[in-house]
Amino acid sequence: MTPLQFEADYAPMWDELDAALAHVEAGRKMWSVSWRKRAAPLGEAPDSARLAKLYRAACEQLALARSRAYPARLTNRLESLTQRAHQLIYRRSDYGAARLARLFLLDFPQAVRDHWRHVLVASLVFGLPLVLLGIATYVDPGFILTMHDARTVQGYEHMYGPAAEAIGRERNAQTDWMMFGFYIMNNISIAFKCFAGGIFLGVGSLFFLAYNGIAAGSLAGYLTARGHGETFYSFVVTHGAFELTAIVLAGAAGLRLGQALLAPGRRTRRAALELAAREAAVLVYGVIAMLLIAAALEAFWSSARWIAPAVKFGVGGVCWALVIAYLAGQGRARSAVGRGAP
Amino acid sequence: MGASALDTVFITETPEGIALPLRPAGMMARSFAYLIDALLRVAILIAAASVLGAMSRFGTGLFMILTFGLEWLYPVVFELMPTAATPGKRAMGLRVVMDSGLPVTPAAALVRNLLRAADFLPVGYALGLLMLLVRPDFKRLGDLAAGTLVVHATSAHLDGPLPSAEPAPPARPLSTREQAAIVAWAGRATRLTPERLDELAALAGPVTVQAVGGSPTARLARVAQWLVGRR
Repeated sequence: MTPLQFEADYAPMWDELDAALAHVEAGRKMWSVSWRKRAAPLGEAPDSARLAKLYRAACEQLALARSRAYPARLTNRLESLTQRAHQLIYRRSDYGAARLARLFLLDFPQAVRDHWRHVLVASLVFGLPLVLLGIATYVDPGFILTMHDARTVQGYEHMYGPAAEAIGRERNAQTDWMMFGFYIMNNISIAFKCFAGGIFLGVGSLFFLAYNGIAAGSLAGYLTARGHGETFYSFVVTHGAFELTAIVLAGAAGLRLGQALLAPGRRTRRAALELAAREAAVLVYGVIAMLLIAAALEAFWSSARWIAPAVKFGVGGVCWALVIAYLAGQGRARSAVGRGAP
Repeated sequence: MGASALDTVFITETPEGIALPLRPAGMMARSFAYLIDALLRVAILIAAASVLGAMSRFGTGLFMILTFGLEWLYPVVFELMPTAATPGKRAMGLRVVMDSGLPVTPAAALVRNLLRAADFLPVGYALGLLMLLVRPDFKRLGDLAAGTLVVHATSAHLDGPLPSAEPAPPARPLSTREQAAIVAWAGRATRLTPERLDELAALAGPVTVQAVGGSPTARLARVAQWLVGRR
């Protein structure tokens, strides 16, 4: 068979495939630009079975054209046709509200439990410096100057001290909004860095976890030593349930990346990294959601000084219990779980 | 193939066993795309600052949320749209795809853009640029972890129609490779200068029938027509 004959035989099929692809692509594009303007007549929708059949035929013909070294113009056309069809036919389409619900009801808490080793390491690397530096600064408040400069310390003391009601009720809704923006920008960025640092064999995650543990621990120790403990702890207890957990989980996701590179097992390092990134992405989704909750709480609830510290401690305790119960119990197989878990 | 050493084509295989060629985009195209995006983001921030600046602290809060969104989520959102490209990438004719040639998944888009923070190190995306320079598939760290590629959305088709000529059989039977070379030569007739075309055709002189006469180009064009099936 000569190229001309080949083209003459199959060109009608290619034209049909081309038209069907254009139809589907146009539909998708219109949906993305504006789903309301979908008035323009697109003609009859192509039959999906027919589309798949045409695609397979085009694949065969491309293989033939290549092995027979037909003119490049011909193979190019077949290549672009098969490429477009491949994109449409193998597109994943199970996104949407149901997928999102599944993510937070099952996938995210399950992923946290599946990676309990990473979570444990991340908790220790974050928690130990936090506790140790907290005690050290409590014993010797001057120690904080090794971590924060004097101006920052003054700022914090001003914030939590009794003298200036800095985060007291003088703060209005405007300020709450400003701080909401700040917390989103600052805290989520910290979590993202904890995750991204993991690609350097996990070292970056360890560094950011320990660094943030040290920074938070020394501040807590200092403020406790200065007698601002109640203000400070009542401020952090509620959103801390989400924020501290999220930072640890982001670090755990980063450690998962690092582990894939250090100990890829039977996979190549690259395949192990790709798998790890897919698993870690589930954790990161959860981290983002938790940090959004944390930022909202931090800006609109934690800062409200008219709420009695006892109430805040109570609500904070409930939040911690909820977060831990959610991560530990949500999405377990029903038989394996006690009646307590939802 | 000998060409693969020079070429940066990334071959991916479909379940039908068809090899799809993807053409990863190199450092310059991606840097320009980044610059366009950066300018766009700054422009949006400046516009937002002038509007939100009038709203005191509430505006400041929204401005910070916007900054965060433009920094981290802007590329994720755009890469998940059907065009699979940020405005900058689109302007440069680029697209983000999975290694399989399929549209990028949400998890992959998130991972590759969060790992920007790693590619940025130590300063100004130095690590990412280094990766682009040393890897033939131009993957930065984020692309490696996410299993994605940044490819040219359309590939240039260099081959045009064959020059018209009366078909004439070659002087001897030709192997498939020889046939392919002659047809490919003829497909470039519109892109090469006549002199260069002649030069190349002269190399294939022995396969043309000398008695036919005419320039080497004219003679080889007739063979090409015969090879694609015109009689």
